[in-house]
Formats: sequence, structure tokens, C-alpha cells
Amino acid sequence: MLINIKNNWELPESMVTSESVYRSRRTFLKSLGYGLGGIVFSPSYLNGANIGFSTELNPLYVLKELDLTPYNLITSYNNFFEFSTDKEGPKKLANKGWNSEPWMIEVRGLVRNPIKMDVNDLIKKIGGIEQRVYRMRCVEAWSMVIPWNGFPLSKLIKLVDPTADAKFVKFTSFIDPGQAPRQRRRNIHWPYVEGLTLSEAANELTFMGTGLYGRAMPNQNGAPIRLVVPWKYGFKSIKSIVKIDFVSKAPINTWQALQPREYGFFANVNPNVSHPRWSQATERIIGGGFFESRKETLMFNGYEKEVGHLYYGVDLRKFY
Amino acid sequence: MKGQLVNIFRFKLFIYTMLALPGLYMFYPILSHNPIFLADPAKYLLEYFGKTATLLFIFVLSLSPMRVIMPNFKIIASISRYRRMFGVSVFVYIVFHLIFYLIYEGIFSQIVENLKTPFILSGVFAFFILFILASTSTDWAVKQIGYSRWKCIHRLAYLAALLIFYHQALQEKNGIVQTIYFFAPLAILEFLRVGKYVLKKSFNKY
Ligand code: HEM
Repeated sequence: MLINIKNNWELPESMVTSESVYRSRRTFLKSLGYGLGGIVFSPSYLNGANIGFSTELNPLYVLKELDLTPYNLITSYNNFFEFSTDKEGPKKLANKGWNSEPWMIEVRGLVRNPIKMDVNDLIKKIGGIEQRVYRMRCVEAWSMVIPWNGFPLSKLIKLVDPTADAKFVKFTSFIDPGQAPRQRRRNIHWPYVEGLTLSEAANELTFMGTGLYGRAMPNQNGAPIRLVVPWKYGFKSIKSIVKIDFVSKAPINTWQALQPREYGFFANVNPNVSHPRWSQATERIIGGGFFESRKETLMFNGYEKEVGHLYYGVDLRKFY
Repeated sequence: MKGQLVNIFRFKLFIYTMLALPGLYMFYPILSHNPIFLADPAKYLLEYFGKTATLLFIFVLSLSPMRVIMPNFKIIASISRYRRMFGVSVFVYIVFHLIFYLIYEGIFSQIVENLKTPFILSGVFAFFILFILASTSTDWAVKQIGYSRWKCIHRLAYLAALLIFYHQALQEKNGIVQTIYFFAPLAILEFLRVGKYVLKKSFNKY
């Protein structure tokens, strides 16, 4: 199925500096009026993979009109199938001796400068981290608003310098059945794998998360480094990454391998394409309360301006 | 005689209390500020009552095979007398399941839309069966219908069990392990009941 993609959809050669993105960012900025109110992070929380880095809020990525999801809920209501399939399981089980520090990460494949180093060293090499507030929409029809810390993946891409053959980026998570109880079962082919096209990976929105709310990334949220792709369903934002490969063919991501009819490669947030068991037109707001009504789900989770151009001419019903 | 009556009354009160406890337990996550509850209360309670009703239903269905397998076990015989009451409480809990589902889904058009999915449809069919069973569970209804016909109608419970198995299995995201854990005891007991029946029959031949 994936082989067809290239026929139906020409990969834009370069999109990082595309003018439409630049322009939309400026209007975005204007509408915000540079307002940063509300979120001030205490530097005393900075530890783990945020050590010694100041984290300024990036004014381009503030969602002033939305309330942040409380820290307690972001770090308690987790999907992390390596540890548990319950929402409450990961918080308990990922903090029972699983070590996310020190952590080596390897970037390799069709690149000119492969690297393999400790996450903290990588952050230093990238030039530090910043803060961004993103919406997070889970495929299970719920959503959060999360202040992440980290750096744009595009910076890492520039660093490793992919060759012309690199068309996709494959992300691989850790494997440690001793600490991650679910990895002892074989109904999922571990380790967890995710993928993006190179142009998706190089988009300004695509982010490598190293923390949230100014603190180091909690284990249950994917310490010490994870992907954050806010216009795709949450499962695309792979946690606890150990390996990034630049490749020429589309990798088969874990959920697509498990249930190809329910979860695709792109997994863009799309209110018009239902999951076989529920509608994706609306979402529940985490922490919203008992009678909080559903909110309408936005195309590309509200990031259409930033990423819509990536999918011109793509049949999003077919490539869900 | 008087003493016996009091005992039965106590026992009945005891059973009522036991049946009400899962419902009261619903307030525990509210009072303890369980973050999973706070994240999405309607979803939490929807799932909670789905599981509670299903476990209770499986327990009710287990009573008759248990009685066949262990005829001398007194507690099962006494509980079995209140089987209909257990059955009615399954229905009450599934009404809660439905109410919290309606709150969770919230939007009428979406609820109608979802009726097309086999997942929701199996739940709705099971709900109707439970409704029929619960509404024919008074002494008056049993008398009106006649015991043998009543028994026949109540065999629908096994169809409901199959539908609920399907409903719960579909809802799982990865495999059907939880569903199998839920239903395994009932499956084993039914297997033993049939086994005992077959053995008895073959003994009677000789
Ligand atoms: C009235 C029609 C019904 C509707 C609309 C309905 C709907 C639902 C929904 C939306 C879920 C949650 C799925 C999820 O978490 O993604 C669910 C789960 C469940 N339902 Fe129902 N259901 C119905 C009837 C029943 C009945 C009759 C039973 C059994 C007596 C039942 C047992 C369950 C169970 C065991 C779960 C799984 C809970 C969990 O483990 O999280 N449902 N149902």
C-alpha cells in the first residue's frame, strides 16, 4: 500500500524555508500580539535532560486562547504501551527502576554526519532548548494543551545533513523487557517504531521534546527525549527515542503494523475520517470536567496553515 | 421459625448492601482526586460501570453451573435464591454505563452515527436483552408468564453473554486479554457442567 505513495504524492524537495510557512508565521505572530502572559517557568525545575539550559518561551508557539492542561494530568493520564495499557499504569511502572539517564541516542543512515552521543551532549550541540505550547490530540478522541521543552527536529536534520536519497525518517524507541513489563508479551513487535516523511520531519513544528512545564521529561511521558508532532495523532509522537534512521523507504510504524485498517502511516488529525469505532469530528478535553461538552476537532489539529501545504493533492481519506 | 425469618432478612439486607457497594465505590475516585478520573470523569465512569456490570453478570451466570458442580456447597445455594436480584442489579449498573456513555459522547448526531458500528450495536442488543430479563424478574411476572416459558426467555442471557464478550473484546486496543480474563471462569464452569452431565449420562447407561 505504501509503495503507491510516491506515485500519488510528489515529495516537495525543500519545504523548510517555503514562503507560505514564513508568511503564515508572521500573521500568527501578529495575532498573538507577542503576549506571553501566564506561563513563567521556575528554573529550579531544570534537571535531567534539561540540565543547565535556559528555556525561553518561543513567542511563535503560544496558544493564548487555550488553557494549559494541568501538570498533574499530563503526567498521570498516559498511553505508554511498553509499561501498561491502562492510563494510570505508566506513571507507576515507568518509575520503578527504569533508567532514562544517562541515555545514548544515535542518528544514522543516509546522512553525511552520523552521530551517537548522550542526550545532554546532543542538546548542547544543538544549542539548547526552548519552550513551545502545542495542542495534543490523541486518536482516542481526547486532547490536551502541553507546554513542551525541547528543540525543533529541523536543527538536528541540519546537523546530520541527510543525503539526497533520504526520503523518510524512522524513529526507534528503547527495548528493555526487564523494566518494561509489556515488552515481555509478544503481541506487539517491540521496539516501538514511528516514521515521518523527510519534509514532515523538517517542518518547523516538528519538535524533539526533552521536558514539559520547564521540568525534565517525566519517565511516563517518554524521557529523556521524544518526538512531538502536534498535527498528527498522539501515537505518532514516539517516546524515549534511542535511534533515528534516515531512510529511502517508508518505515512501517508500530500501530500500522498492528491494525492497518485503523491506523495509517500519516495519522494526521482529520475530523472527516472516522476511526472504525468512533467519530474523530469532536474531542474530549482532558481536565475539562464532567459536563464539559466536546470541542470540534480541527483539521491538522489546528495547524493547517503550517502543514497543509505538505499534503496538497494527497487523498487524506486514503492516506489516513 | 421467627429466628429463621430474621436470618433471611439479614441475609437479604447483606446482599442488597453487597450489590450497592460497587455503585457507592463510584464516589471514591471523586473524593480521592484520582487524576485518571479528573482527566475525563464521564469516560472513567463509563468504563467503570461497563466492567462492574460485566463482572456481576458473569458471576450470576456462574451460579447455576457452580450449583451443578458443587451441589453440597451451601453458600452458592443460598446466593442462588437471590439470583434474580443480582440480575436486576446488572441491569441497573448497565443503565449507569449507558447514562455515562450519553454524557461522554454528548452530541446527539454523533450518538446516532455511532449506532452503525458493530461495537456500539452489540452493546445496544445486549442492553435490550438485559432490559427484557430485568423487567420480567418480579415474582408477579414469573407467575404471569409461567415458569417454563420464563426459563426459556431467560436463556437469552447466554446470547447477551456472547454479545458482551464481543463488545468488550472489540473495545480493547491490543489483543483481548482482559476480556478473556473476565470470561474464562464462566467458560471453565460451563465446560465442567457439561463434562459432569456427559459423565453422568454414560454412567447411567451401565
Ligand atoms: C447500551 C448500549 C451500550 C453502549 C452504547 C456501550 C458503549 C460503550 C463504550 C463507549 C465503551 C467504552 C469504550 C472505550 O473505552 O473505548 C464501552 C465499554 C464497555 N462496555 Fe459497553 N455499551 C453498551 C452496553 C454494554 C453492556 C450491556 C455491557 C455488559 C453488561 C457492556 C460492557 C462493557 C464493558 C465491559 C466495557 C469495557 C470497559 C473497559 O474495560 O474499559 N456495555 N461500552
